[in-house]
Amino acid sequence: MSKIIAENVNVYYGSKQALFDVSINIAEKEVTALIGPSGCGKSTFLRCLNRMNDVIDICRVEGSIKMDDLELNSRKLDVVRLRENVGMVFQKPNPFPKTIYENVAYGPTIHGIAQSKEEMDQIVETSLKKAALWNEVKDRLDEIGIGLSGGQQQRLCIARAISVSPEVILMDEPCSALDPIATAQIEELIDDLKKEVTIVIVTHSMSQAARVSQKTGFFHLGKLIEFGSTEKIFKNPDNKQTQDYITGRFG
Amino acid sequence: MNNFKKNLLKKRYNAERRFQWYGKIAIGLALTFLAVFMFQIFSKGYSAFQKTWIVTEVHYDKELLLIDAESPSKDDLENADYYDVAYKAMTSLDPGLPEEEDRQLIQMVSYKYETEVKDLLLKNPDFLGKIVPIKLTASDDVDQVHKGNYPRDIPEENRRVNDYQLQIYDMLNERGDILSEFNISFFTNPDSREAELAGIASSFMGTVFSILVCLAFSFPIAVLAAIYLEEFAPKNKFTDFIEVNINNLAAVPSIVFGLLGLGVLLAVFNLPRSTPLVGGIALSLMTLPTIIIAARASLKAVPPSIREAALAMGASNMQTTMHHTVPLSMPGTLSGTIIGLAQALGETAPLILIGMVAFVNTIPGTPVDPAASLPVQIYIWSESAERGFVEKVSACIMVLLAFLILMNLAAQIVRHKFEKKWS
Repeated sequence: MSKIIAENVNVYYGSKQALFDVSINIAEKEVTALIGPSGCGKSTFLRCLNRMNDVIDICRVEGSIKMDDLELNSRKLDVVRLRENVGMVFQKPNPFPKTIYENVAYGPTIHGIAQSKEEMDQIVETSLKKAALWNEVKDRLDEIGIGLSGGQQQRLCIARAISVSPEVILMDEPCSALDPIATAQIEELIDDLKKEVTIVIVTHSMSQAARVSQKTGFFHLGKLIEFGSTEKIFKNPDNKQTQDYITGRFG
Repeated sequence: MNNFKKNLLKKRYNAERRFQWYGKIAIGLALTFLAVFMFQIFSKGYSAFQKTWIVTEVHYDKELLLIDAESPSKDDLENADYYDVAYKAMTSLDPGLPEEEDRQLIQMVSYKYETEVKDLLLKNPDFLGKIVPIKLTASDDVDQVHKGNYPRDIPEENRRVNDYQLQIYDMLNERGDILSEFNISFFTNPDSREAELAGIASSFMGTVFSILVCLAFSFPIAVLAAIYLEEFAPKNKFTDFIEVNINNLAAVPSIVFGLLGLGVLLAVFNLPRSTPLVGGIALSLMTLPTIIIAARASLKAVPPSIREAALAMGASNMQTTMHHTVPLSMPGTLSGTIIGLAQALGETAPLILIGMVAFVNTIPGTPVDPAASLPVQIYIWSESAERGFVEKVSACIMVLLAFLILMNLAAQIVRHKFEKKWS
């Protein structure tokens, strides 16, 4: 079943077009990987899904992106509600310079999800457990989140993202700043999370895409060149460019 | 390596060495100027922190005080006549002096000596009828003689202290009846025409009130303006224009703000003249751009990743700003504010224009009482030729510098202690 259906999405930064007629169906409770060389538009597309492009003044998005029949690319859309449902994890871990507890509790607080202190404690604990961080931090929840290691910080960001129980989580190269061990932990985590949420991940590592995703889309120069099951893309792509990219001949 | 290369290398090293020397010389010169400046101020000013007293004996004679009651009440003591008692306390220093020459002795103490005689009795009512020793504030001239600032070997007609007074001074000094103590009254007295009584209490309080008013006006306005411009306003020609003008405002000579205060605050709004309220508002026009610029710079310094994190969590623009960006920018904003206030602290020109240059011999209790300020006090005293005021100018500069150093220190502490580190 499709969670997100994008049709003919064009994105412009000022007069420069960054995405050309991208159409893609993102399936529910699966991991969709977007790969492609730097500057190919995969992050731009990802940021359309939670309207983070709004932050950039000169950015203009055309086309239709529907999530469960809700048009995301509409002026009338309440982006605050959208972002409650679509969480995001960034390339560089960016916990708030607050305590671990406050980091996770921030989303539930502003969205009024927890009614009581006990409920909030529960949410923080569950989120940290789901992010496989609970055992490492349960005794120091009131320490500053920035004191954690890079991998722990990124898992804290994931815990923060899942604290409001989103339906979709967007990940923008979440492991590019992490070492292989931390990367493996995050990948394991993604595997667990997909039972409950739809995940879209942008990655530079093709092996990562192959490991974690069920569907893969290959972007090049702002166009979606090929989209299909990960197995097919990596073993038997239809397109010559895709073939060249995954075999490392360019990019 | 051939010779050409060797020479080139040598030249490069020499150039670097020369450059380092230029830098060292520049720093040396700067430090020398500072040292000369400091030495000048301290050598002239340190003596202002010493006060000279003349000790004599006073006889609280009930008859001379014109007190009739057997056991006089506080009111009786308050209303008694101290003129004769005080006069006698001074003339008793030299009983042989003919009456018409008495003024020479009276001139050796401050004109407030009668009040000092009165205050001692009011504090110790049981002195009534007794002969007790009393400390009287020495006159400015005796004070300067005691501090060695007046040469004694010039002809009498060119001296402010005549031979007879010097003789009395020497006699008292030998007896140990000239005391030199820490000058508390410099800090507790308001301004006075008499150097020995003049203090910085009124200008100090004026400065404190001005700075508080300045803070109260400029900080909220500047911070709100900075937050709006940095976080909410669209980036277009109009906001660019505003930014340029804020920067221009920071470069406007302070006297212009004084004229503005005079023309608008005093003439149009009829606010009370010579008060820290008006002075503070005029100064806040000056600090406003400084704080806006500092606040915007520290808002800009908050990493965009923090904003993105908050926005991606579904925080509104307002929540992102208030929960994350503003708290993180506060240390920078506050230290910018303190530096802006420190500039305002040393400002004289606008205050002169709005009338804070008036001679104020009361200590202001509120921002709407007339007051001077420390830099204006320096200006006022520097116009007096008396040696007593010369040392007071330097002492006042020292107090102002201490105040400034404390504020800059506070800015440093705020910046280092409360600045959050991210990743």
